[in-house]
Amino acid sequence: MRRLTGVVGVAAGLALLLSSCGDGKSSGGSGDAGSKSEVIGIAADPLEYINPLNDNGTAGIGVSMAIFAPLVTTDPETGKLQNVMADSVTPDQNSQTWTIKLKPGNTFQNGQALTAKDYVDSWNLTAEGSNGWKNNGFFSKVEGYDAMNPPAPDGATPKPTSVKALSGLKQVDNLTFTVKLKVPFSQFGLTLQYYGLAPLPEEVRKNPDAYKRKPIGNGPYKLAADWNAGDDLKLTKWDGYKGPTIPQADQITYRFIPNADTAYNEFLAGNLDFVDVPSTKVKSFKTDAPDQWVTSVSSGANYLVIPAWDARFKNPKLRYAISAAIDRKAFADLVGLSEPAKGLIAPDIAGYRDDACKYCDFDAAKAKQLLQEAGGFSGVLNINYNTTSATGQIYAEAIGNMLRQNLGVQVKYTGKQGSEITELADTRKLDGLRFSGWGHDYPSIEDYLTPMFKSNGDANFAGYANPALDALLAKGDAEPDPDKAIAVYQQAEDIALEDLPLIPLYTKSNAYLHSAKIAPRVSKYVGVSALWATFK
Amino acid sequence: MLRRVLAAVPIGVIVTLGVFALVFAMPGDPLRELAGDKPIPAAVLAAKRAQYHLDDPFIVQYLLSMKDILTGHFGTTFAGADIADQLRLRIPVTLKLASMGLVFQWIAGLLFGLYAGFRRNGTVDRMLLLATLVVLAVPGLVLYFTGQYLLGVELKWLPVSGIRDGWPLSYLLPAVCIGITGFAGLARLTRTSIVDTANADFVKTARAKGLGEQRILWRHVLPNALLPVVTLMGIDLAGIFGGAVLAESIFNLPGLGQFMFQAIKLKEGGVVVLLSTLAFLMFIVINLIVDVVYGAIDPRVRNV
Repeated sequence: MRRLTGVVGVAAGLALLLSSCGDGKSSGGSGDAGSKSEVIGIAADPLEYINPLNDNGTAGIGVSMAIFAPLVTTDPETGKLQNVMADSVTPDQNSQTWTIKLKPGNTFQNGQALTAKDYVDSWNLTAEGSNGWKNNGFFSKVEGYDAMNPPAPDGATPKPTSVKALSGLKQVDNLTFTVKLKVPFSQFGLTLQYYGLAPLPEEVRKNPDAYKRKPIGNGPYKLAADWNAGDDLKLTKWDGYKGPTIPQADQITYRFIPNADTAYNEFLAGNLDFVDVPSTKVKSFKTDAPDQWVTSVSSGANYLVIPAWDARFKNPKLRYAISAAIDRKAFADLVGLSEPAKGLIAPDIAGYRDDACKYCDFDAAKAKQLLQEAGGFSGVLNINYNTTSATGQIYAEAIGNMLRQNLGVQVKYTGKQGSEITELADTRKLDGLRFSGWGHDYPSIEDYLTPMFKSNGDANFAGYANPALDALLAKGDAEPDPDKAIAVYQQAEDIALEDLPLIPLYTKSNAYLHSAKIAPRVSKYVGVSALWATFK
Repeated sequence: MLRRVLAAVPIGVIVTLGVFALVFAMPGDPLRELAGDKPIPAAVLAAKRAQYHLDDPFIVQYLLSMKDILTGHFGTTFAGADIADQLRLRIPVTLKLASMGLVFQWIAGLLFGLYAGFRRNGTVDRMLLLATLVVLAVPGLVLYFTGQYLLGVELKWLPVSGIRDGWPLSYLLPAVCIGITGFAGLARLTRTSIVDTANADFVKTARAKGLGEQRILWRHVLPNALLPVVTLMGIDLAGIFGGAVLAESIFNLPGLGQFMFQAIKLKEGGVVVLLSTLAFLMFIVINLIVDVVYGAIDPRVRNV
C-alpha cells in the first residue's frame, strides 16, 4: 500500500502547497450595526472597467448610478423631470437646438470643478468612432456626427477622418453649452437622464485606460478600496455630491455572481441585501422569501416578430390571424409576473392606452376565419428561439402549440444563439417568427416607436417600413408641447398596430428580494432601486 | 523524454489550430453577442473589428493569436478584461479546486473500490453498486445545486459561492461535489480490476507455490490490479479541467473553467486557444507523470 499512499500524498501535498498562496479576502458581511451598509448582488459577469460612456449594459450602468450623476433625472414621486447637474435644459422653438446650463459649485471626486467643457469633451470622445465606445450611437442625432463617423456600407471599414469634434456641440461659457441636433427632437430633454452621458474629468479623458478600475465620478459614491479583477466593488459615500436625492447608505458593496440561481441562493443564505429574482424562480420567490420581496410595475414589452422579408407573411389578415390565435392570458401566466399586452408600449409610459390593440384579443374562431380570408399559410411555420435563454424553448413551444391548435398550421422550432438570430434578421435571412423585447432607455412612448418601427430603426427587428409612420414620428419629434407630441406619437402607434409587424405578447414586471434591513425604493416611474433604499 | 516533449509540438499545433477553427466556425458574431439586443453603431463595430483583427482571414487570426501566446502579450478580452490579470486570478483558483476535487475523488474511488474488491458481494460492495448507479444517473447540475442549497443555504455550514472565505472553506463544497460525481468510475474499475487479478492464473500459481496471503496481496495482486487504475486516474487529472467548468459556474469560482465558458459564449477564439494550450500543456505533463508512476508500480514498463 506504500506506493499507493505516495500518489495520494503527492496530490494532497500539492493542494496544501497551493493553499499557502491564500486568497487574502475577508468576508464583506453587512458591516457595523451603526453604519448603514448594504450588499447588492448583481447576477452578471464581473465588470472589467467602469466608464459609463463606454457601457450600455444593466450592470455597468447600474454601478455608474452610484458613482456618477446625470444632468437630469425622473422624480420617482411625480414622474416629472428634475434637474441634477443641470440648472436648466431649454429647447429652442422647434426643439432642434438645446441649451444646457449647469449648476455652479459641482466638482468631480478628484476636486476638479465640473464645467461645460467636461461634457463637451467627454461627449466628443465618445462620438469618435475609432475609440469604439459603446454609447457612440447616442450622438448620431447630433449635428456633425456623420462627418466624425463617415457612413460606410455594411462590412466595409469606414474611412479614417481627422474630425475630432461634433459641430453641433458648443461651449458657450464655463457652465453653459448647446447641442444642435440634425433634426428637431422634442424628447431630447428626457434622454439627458441617461447615465451613459456622464462627464469624465480631464485626467481621465487624457488616458481613460489608466482609470478603468479607479473611476472618478461626480455622483454620491466613490471607490472605498482598490478594486482588482475578481474583487467585489466597495463604495463609500462622497461628501461632495449635492444632488436632489441623496441615497441613505454609507457603504455599498456590489457583488457580481454570474449564475443568477446562485445569486438567489446567496440571498437566501443571508449574504446579500438585494438581488433580482431570476426567471427560474418567478413561481417560488414569494414563498422562498416571505415579506422580503418587491415587484416593479413594468420592465418593458415583449413581442413576436413577423419577418417583413418573407412573402408568406405579407397579407395583413394572416398577421391578424396569428395575433388572434394567441391566448395572451395563458401565455402571460406561463411567463409569470406578466400581463397580456394591449398595445406596443409598456403600461408605465405616458401615452399608454389600454385599448390600443384591436387584434390582441384571443378568439380562435375569428383567427381561423382571418386565416381563411388571407388564403391560408403555405409551408411550415418556423419559430426561432434563443438557446442561451433558459425559457426560450418553453415559450416557443407554447406559442407554437396555440398556432397549431387554433390555426391548424404546421409548426417547427429552431434554437439558435441570440446573436445568430439577430444577425440573420439583420441580413434578412431569418426564416419564420422570433421573440423580441424592448425596455426603454428613457421613459417616452417615442423610445418604443422610433427604434422598433421607424424605417431602419436601431431595433427594427421586423425590417418594417411605412413612410406614413415615419412622417408622424418626425412630426411628434418637432412638437415642443409634450401632450400634443404624445397624441401624434399615438397616431404612429395606431399605424403600427394596423400593420402589425410585431405582435404584442405580454408586459412583464420584475421581482426583487431584499433583506429585512432595507426597503428598496419602488416607483411607478423609475422602477425598483436598491441604491436609494430606505434603512430600517 | 525529450523526444516525447518534441513530439508534442506538432500535436500542439494541430490541436490549437483545430480548436481555433471550431471557434471560428461557430455561428453568430462575437461583438453582437457582447452587445445583446442593443444596436451597435457602424463606427464602433468597425473599430472593435479592427482592434481584434476580426476581419482578417482565419489563418492570419490564428497566427496572431499564437504570436500573442508565445510572446506573452495576451491583450484584453472583447469585454475589456486584461487577460494576463485574469490568468493570475484564475489559475490558482482552478488548481486549488481541481486538486482538492481529485483528492476527494481518488480517496473515495480507491477506498471503496479496494474494499469492495476484496470483500466482494459484501454489504459495502452492494452499497457501492447502488451508490455509483445513483451518481451516474443524477445530473451534476442537480447534485451541485442540491449541495449548495442544503449545506450553504439551509444548514449554513459552508459558503454558498465565491472565494471570499479562502482556501479550504470556499473550495470544500464544490470539490466534494466534483469528488462525488467523479468517484464512481474509479471505484468500479478498481473493484473489477482487483477481482480479475485475484482470479488470475499467476495469483493461483503464487498461491500453489505456498506464498503467504499477505505477500500475494501486496506483491502480486495490487501492483497488477492498479495499472489500469493509474491510467484512469491520469485521465481524470487531465479531464478535471472540463469538470471544473460546471462547478466554477454554479459556485461562482473565478477559475479557468468559468473563463473558458465565457470565452466560448462570446466566440472569443484567442482566449479559447490560449486556455486550450494551457490544458494541452497540462495534459502532456500529466501523461509524463503517469508514465513515471507506471514505471514505479510495474518495472516491466520502465524501459519501454
